[in-house]
Amino acid sequence: MSETHQHDATTTKRPAGNLRYVCYGNDKESPYLPAIKQLISKDLSEPYSIYVYRYFLYQWSDLCFMTLDEQDNLIGVIVCKLEPHRGGPMRGYIAMLATQQEYRGQGIATKLVRMAVDAMIAKDADEIALETEIDNIPSLRIYERLGFIRTKRLHRYYLNGNTAYRLILYLKPGIPYKPTYPPDYPHMEGDDAQNPAQGLLGEDLIQRQAAQLQIEEVHGQRHDLLQASG
Amino acid sequence: MPSDDLADEASPLNDKQNGGDDLSDPATAEARLQEEARRLRKKPISVGTRGVRDVTEDFVAASEQLQPGELVKDEYFTLFEAVGALEIMDPKMDSGRIPPGDSFEPDFDVCAGLNARQVLWIMDELFRLEMSFQDGYPLSQNIFTSLHVFRLLAPENRHPYHLRFNGPSAKDETTVELQLVHFVLSAYCIAVVKCVQCTLSSIQTYTYYEEEDFVTYLFGRELLPKLSAVDATRLLIDAADWLETSGLDEPVRDAIRLRLLAREELLTSMDSTDEGIDEWDKFRAKIRDIRQQHELATPVPDAFSDKVQRQLATSTPPRPMPQLSWDQACDKWLHLCDDILATRALTSFRIRQSPHCLQRATWAFAYRQPPPSTYARAKMQETLTAGDCVAGEVSHFDLMLTDIRDLVLAGDPLADPASFQVEVPSDPRHRASRLIEDFMSRMFGEYLNLYRMVCQNRCRMRRTFTQTLPIFDELETVAHEVDEQLNEIVVPRLVQDMSGNWHKHCPLSTWLRLHKLQIMIWTIQLGFETDLYLPDELREIFTVLEHLTRTRLSCLIQMELFVVKKLQLPEAGKLSRDDKEQCRSSSEWIKSLSLQEQVNVTLSSLLSSFCTTLEDLALIDARSKPYSQSQLRYEARYKPFLGLQWDSVPALEDLERQGRAEAITLSEIQQICTSYAEAIKTTRGMLGELKNMNPTQAKYVGTEEEWKKGIKSLETTCVAISVAASQLQRICEKHKDKLDRLGEVAEVSFPVPEKRYHVWWVVPQLKEK
Repeated sequence: MSETHQHDATTTKRPAGNLRYVCYGNDKESPYLPAIKQLISKDLSEPYSIYVYRYFLYQWSDLCFMTLDEQDNLIGVIVCKLEPHRGGPMRGYIAMLATQQEYRGQGIATKLVRMAVDAMIAKDADEIALETEIDNIPSLRIYERLGFIRTKRLHRYYLNGNTAYRLILYLKPGIPYKPTYPPDYPHMEGDDAQNPAQGLLGEDLIQRQAAQLQIEEVHGQRHDLLQASG
Repeated sequence: MPSDDLADEASPLNDKQNGGDDLSDPATAEARLQEEARRLRKKPISVGTRGVRDVTEDFVAASEQLQPGELVKDEYFTLFEAVGALEIMDPKMDSGRIPPGDSFEPDFDVCAGLNARQVLWIMDELFRLEMSFQDGYPLSQNIFTSLHVFRLLAPENRHPYHLRFNGPSAKDETTVELQLVHFVLSAYCIAVVKCVQCTLSSIQTYTYYEEEDFVTYLFGRELLPKLSAVDATRLLIDAADWLETSGLDEPVRDAIRLRLLAREELLTSMDSTDEGIDEWDKFRAKIRDIRQQHELATPVPDAFSDKVQRQLATSTPPRPMPQLSWDQACDKWLHLCDDILATRALTSFRIRQSPHCLQRATWAFAYRQPPPSTYARAKMQETLTAGDCVAGEVSHFDLMLTDIRDLVLAGDPLADPASFQVEVPSDPRHRASRLIEDFMSRMFGEYLNLYRMVCQNRCRMRRTFTQTLPIFDELETVAHEVDEQLNEIVVPRLVQDMSGNWHKHCPLSTWLRLHKLQIMIWTIQLGFETDLYLPDELREIFTVLEHLTRTRLSCLIQMELFVVKKLQLPEAGKLSRDDKEQCRSSSEWIKSLSLQEQVNVTLSSLLSSFCTTLEDLALIDARSKPYSQSQLRYEARYKPFLGLQWDSVPALEDLERQGRAEAITLSEIQQICTSYAEAIKTTRGMLGELKNMNPTQAKYVGTEEEWKKGIKSLETTCVAISVAASQLQRICEKHKDKLDRLGEVAEVSFPVPEKRYHVWWVVPQLKEK
């Protein structure tokens, strides 16, 4: 990763002024897609392909919100999904969140998170989860001020070796009692049967690999994307 | 291009899996990929029938039917698969991309001769890079970048794995420079590869977490499968012998020779599970000289290249990897040796005789600084569990039986190993030991996990504890049943406590419950260590901790009662000397546990009270948050404990604060702070008592230093609480007119784990603004 963990105290702040908050909507290929990709991948040394953005935006365009200025420039964006978690609770997931550097510290990201959370509540989500790097204080602050709690620390979660917190917000009672199902694995033959069970090549691994390909990494990358005070 | 039939085989698996499943689950994706791979394997591709067709035009025509941005995917396409997509020729994603003007392969001839100083440098570079592999970074970015190693591992290379696939043997090379490469360096590289293999084999035999602990991926290469570690050590010895006659200058010759011998010792040690054979200490002793001789080396940076990644099978781009300096790598090698040697010292004869000493020693290992590497943690697990014995000597059966005896069955024939030998079916000892044996066999896995879980990285340690709780809870039901059955075979013992209540001795369920409560407490404490709790949760978490430690304390007090009474009863006269000694030792041990738990009770109670006061003064912001609902937050926070039938955390209504009728007054604050002084004095008294217990009494044989340090850090925690309380009192007295808005003049901070006197105890710090 090329990004450093410095807080951009020296950057000039732009006033939030007349910003608009809009839903990405049903456009299959919105004119904002290149800007979204650019804003999010700006600080990533290994950005993900356009396919990843489309994966989210095609399926959950109603859970993507954008902040635009008067000239329709993209100032901030949040990208989410919502689907059953291990056959159990309906889990909302905040995958990406970013704000233009010179607009940080004005509550834009918080507003985007609230819009996404409200939209997920409206769609009957049971819970919302996300990960963020343990030293990404601005990001932690945004979520924790809204009511998310840290439920796990994830050792060396990201590709860069950084550790993360899983943050959770329950939206309905009884989630801990909802059964979830461990994934099925096909019966293996030949060499693969040797697969050492203790290596724990389970779902956690796959999820982390997905994370390490930086799909969920953006949280970690928002270190100075989010100067917002919430 | 796949032929048509192959494409059919790879078509969506709509006949399989996924019915009603979480379709986007990455694990389902994994399952699907595995299934596809299996199908492909099943049907061998015949090269003769494989056709090639240019589909460019079809593809372009088909894609013109689509709107820009339209996603073409089946319903089984998951996030995992989306993330796997690469943009070809994007330099950040496509590791196979060759920039204009660059060559595909590195421009370096691995068969060419090198002088001794160059060979020395390459050996050292491998030594340095090996540490980055040991740190958990992928081979493609460290050892495999050695072009010599890469050549040896080439898929077309065959045993005996020469650098020249079909050339003369190393001995027939014509110059010293060529022999240095083909004889000496090649032997060294082969031995490095074998060390990699030994490391991977150890790690993969025991519990570890892929990616977060270690990357075991081989990128489609094999690690010289037809050549054993022993063969490799012979090559090293032959090379060292050849050096003697090589006529090379002495210093550099000696430096190379030392590396060959050190590598031989390392490989022998890694290849062996027998403590008697390995040579970690000898290897360690050579690192100092190796470090110093490095200045003799002449760099050959071209002998290493990241271009090898273009030929390696992978689905992930290279990851950021810290560059270790030569000195850092040498230090890490020293740490690795020390950690491995510590696995021996911490499971020594004196320690492993007592499960509690061993438990303490395992924790001491886990808390070594810097934290032991994944390989060292695997070696610790090996020592604890290989062959169903600790250090090849104490059987797990004996370990667990001793644990039960020390805590609940001291001096009792039920836990006497001899009872397990009685074969007369009508003998009560026979019948009782079958019951206990049966319980133990159901319990073994989770009991050993008490040691194994501690060998995981700290985040996983907490999570595995949470995962084991429901299992312990179920086993507690079993233990109650077995206790009932035991009490039908032997006359149950009854004792009366100070309040006049009678208690029936239920040894197994009591023993299990004590361990389970300990795991619940550790779960909370590791939550503190991994910094999971926000300031506004502290009051409640400390209350929960106080509840759990108090519960465990009362469990301990009852256990102590049974063992003490046993010595006081008239029948005590009939006890053998050994049995009496067991009872005495058990009561001392339980006494030390009670003292430790009492310290936990007081500290958690003090801190819970202190955080309450800080909330009253609005120094901790406990106002509700926009999306937070107390019932839901409670469920999220205590998920691991909810649903346990035997013990749990207090109910939400018991944890919620009763709203204060009036604002807190100065005299109240003064009273609270004064009350702390008394509690802290008592706590320090208990710590003093613990300090006076010897290693056998409190079972910290072999971890005396850690015991002392632990008590010291608890004493400092007591001091920190005193300081915080008197600071609060002072600020309140100074600003008594501002108690309703103390935040204007004072602020509170919560030290991060590294800054605490004890990682498990967060003591708020106050200062005036």
